[in-house]
Amino acid sequence: MTQAEIKLCSLLLQEHFGEIVEKIGVHLIRTGSQPLRVIAHDTGTSLDQVKKALCVLIQHNLVIYQVHKRGVVEYEAQCSRVLRMLRYPRYIYTAKTLYSDTGELIVEELLLNGKMTMSAVVKKVADRLTETMEDGKTMDYAEVSNTFMRLADTHFVQRCPWVPATENSDPGPLPPAPILVISEKDMYLVPKLSLIGKGKRRRSSDEDATGEPKAKRTKHSTDNKEPIPDDGIYWQANLDRFHQHFRDQAIVSAVANRMDQTSSEIVRTMLRMSEITTPSAAPFTQPLSSNEIFRSLPVGYNISKQVLDQYLTLLADDPLEFVGKSGDSGGGMYVINLHKALGSLATATLESVVQERFGSRCARIFRLVLQKKHLEQKQVEDLAMIPAKEAKDMLYKMLSGNFISLQEIPKTPDHAPSRTFYLYTVNILSAARMLLHRCYKSIANLIERRQFETKENKRLLEKSQRVEAIIASMQATGAEEAQLQEIEEMITAPERQQLETLKRNVNKLDASEIQVDETIFLLESYIESTMKRQ
Amino acid sequence: MASRGGGRGRGRGQLTFNMEAVGIGKGDALPPSTLQPSPLFPPLEFRPVPLPAGEEGEYVLALKQELRGAMRQLPYFIRPAVPKRDWRRLPRELKIRVRKLQKERTTILIPKRPPKNTEDKEETIQKLETLEKKEEEVTSEEDEEKEEEEEKEEEEEEEYDEEEHEEETDYIMSYFDNGEDFGGDSDDNMDEAIY
Repeated sequence: MTQAEIKLCSLLLQEHFGEIVEKIGVHLIRTGSQPLRVIAHDTGTSLDQVKKALCVLIQHNLVIYQVHKRGVVEYEAQCSRVLRMLRYPRYIYTAKTLYSDTGELIVEELLLNGKMTMSAVVKKVADRLTETMEDGKTMDYAEVSNTFMRLADTHFVQRCPWVPATENSDPGPLPPAPILVISEKDMYLVPKLSLIGKGKRRRSSDEDATGEPKAKRTKHSTDNKEPIPDDGIYWQANLDRFHQHFRDQAIVSAVANRMDQTSSEIVRTMLRMSEITTPSAAPFTQPLSSNEIFRSLPVGYNISKQVLDQYLTLLADDPLEFVGKSGDSGGGMYVINLHKALGSLATATLESVVQERFGSRCARIFRLVLQKKHLEQKQVEDLAMIPAKEAKDMLYKMLSGNFISLQEIPKTPDHAPSRTFYLYTVNILSAARMLLHRCYKSIANLIERRQFETKENKRLLEKSQRVEAIIASMQATGAEEAQLQEIEEMITAPERQQLETLKRNVNKLDASEIQVDETIFLLESYIESTMKRQ
Repeated sequence: MASRGGGRGRGRGQLTFNMEAVGIGKGDALPPSTLQPSPLFPPLEFRPVPLPAGEEGEYVLALKQELRGAMRQLPYFIRPAVPKRDWRRLPRELKIRVRKLQKERTTILIPKRPPKNTEDKEETIQKLETLEKKEEEVTSEEDEEKEEEEEKEEEEEEEYDEEEHEEETDYIMSYFDNGEDFGGDSDDNMDEAIY
């Protein structure tokens, strides 16, 4: 784990879980797998706090445990999982676009709580939805359960590994930590629950005074009399599936940018058809015949078979090689080259970074070297049509930024500089890694700056919150306009200005974080895909 | 000795490497000497591309800020513990230890009532009453007579719930440094609670 990653993890843990969890988490990330006592000793925190922190981390799938010999349990932190916390808003937004508000709230609850049972999720989401609905309407549990089942069917939520049911008759000594198992086929199996009920509103008005004792009674009864039907079956959000969705989205929008809407729809159809059949790490999807694609096109698109064939041929011939032709049966078998697509996306990211950082002429040189793979100094100047001095300057700038690297080819065994070829080349993998590392550093800087800005204006923020609270309470008790005006004037105009600036800055910093995270996703996907192929 | 005349004499002004190789030819002006450390932020040649605006961007932004706030309120956010206080030096009445004992020994409730009533703080009396009612609620669930009391107590609690809760758990956590109770008690040690 690089220093930049550790720093970013530390900031994220601190913001979301507090300092104690941050201390323990960072220590585990730095030192690897360790038992409980050693953690407590090394970090200097009390054993209770370490226990609490570890519980929180395990609950959120950030730390895993393993039983080693002699019954010692060791805990290991997952740095990459901590970094996923940056992407939570994006996951929730995706769920919203696919499954509307219900889906959004389900995924949000699962992400905020790490692991939950289905009944708990359904109850909480129904309550939350009821809050936002108009008076008198409530959210039915059945509807929420349906959405949950759909999420499970499309693999967006999955079961957590569970304690295996022990059938042996002799109890034996209990192991210090349960060994959790998970089987592929059971991972998306929704338990048969008959959750009947409606969401409850947190009400304080008189008309629901009768509702309260009943609610209390039912609460008591469910706690004491009926055991929770799906006790022990916990669900978590399946981040890999979301990543697959993001990747598909990126590919489709790339095709749409490069060609037109129709071809992007075709690619989207192909991706949708191979969602469940292709494992997420495969370099290309299963071959799909042109007839199948034609049948699966969305209903609104009535293009003829011939036109579809033409589009497919165009896509297959495109130099970017998103789509490849793998055979001729069934009207032509086509695959989507996922690995190549990710590579193109990563390359495009690199090009864009070079352009924005060094200028368009540098970008021209960069693209040239990318295309020709290896070029000498003189060839670069000639092909790019840039004067020698400037070309040299730009190449050295990019070289020192590690976007371009130098390959030496000696003519003589003694590697004399005057008798060696020096070729400029772009190594996409290492450039991607370098850029990824830079992204981690940028997000850490953005978070630090945001915290600094907030701290600077803490007094002002608190004052404005107080004033808002006073205004709200006065409005609730029915105050006059004049009084409200008076209270609002407690914040002077320059202070208001300052608050506006602060809000704008914080928003900008937050939006930048989200943007950098998108780049991180692309680069990480590419690197992961490349590593798996090796 | 003679040759080391303070750098004067022959050999003065000679460098160990060949100047031409670096790029400074003979007779060229030397680059201006640096009199101050390099600036903190290098000058930005190209302005960054504007961030994506629009509905999606704003929604995700709002979500992000909401999530941040929400996570601070969840029980998973562990606040640093209150420092231990030396009870020998502080007045007795600041200790609120009665609650802990009451939770564990429900039978000794009634005899404990009279001594507690002599406490000065009105709030503690009210707290005790509500707690006792809660105790009764726990021990006799099907008792429907208590439901009216519970309703009243609920309403009372709603009014000053936050303040009381924070104070009471604050002291308890520091006084009873007991490992088992940590998971059970609520973790809102609002050390920085202002309201």
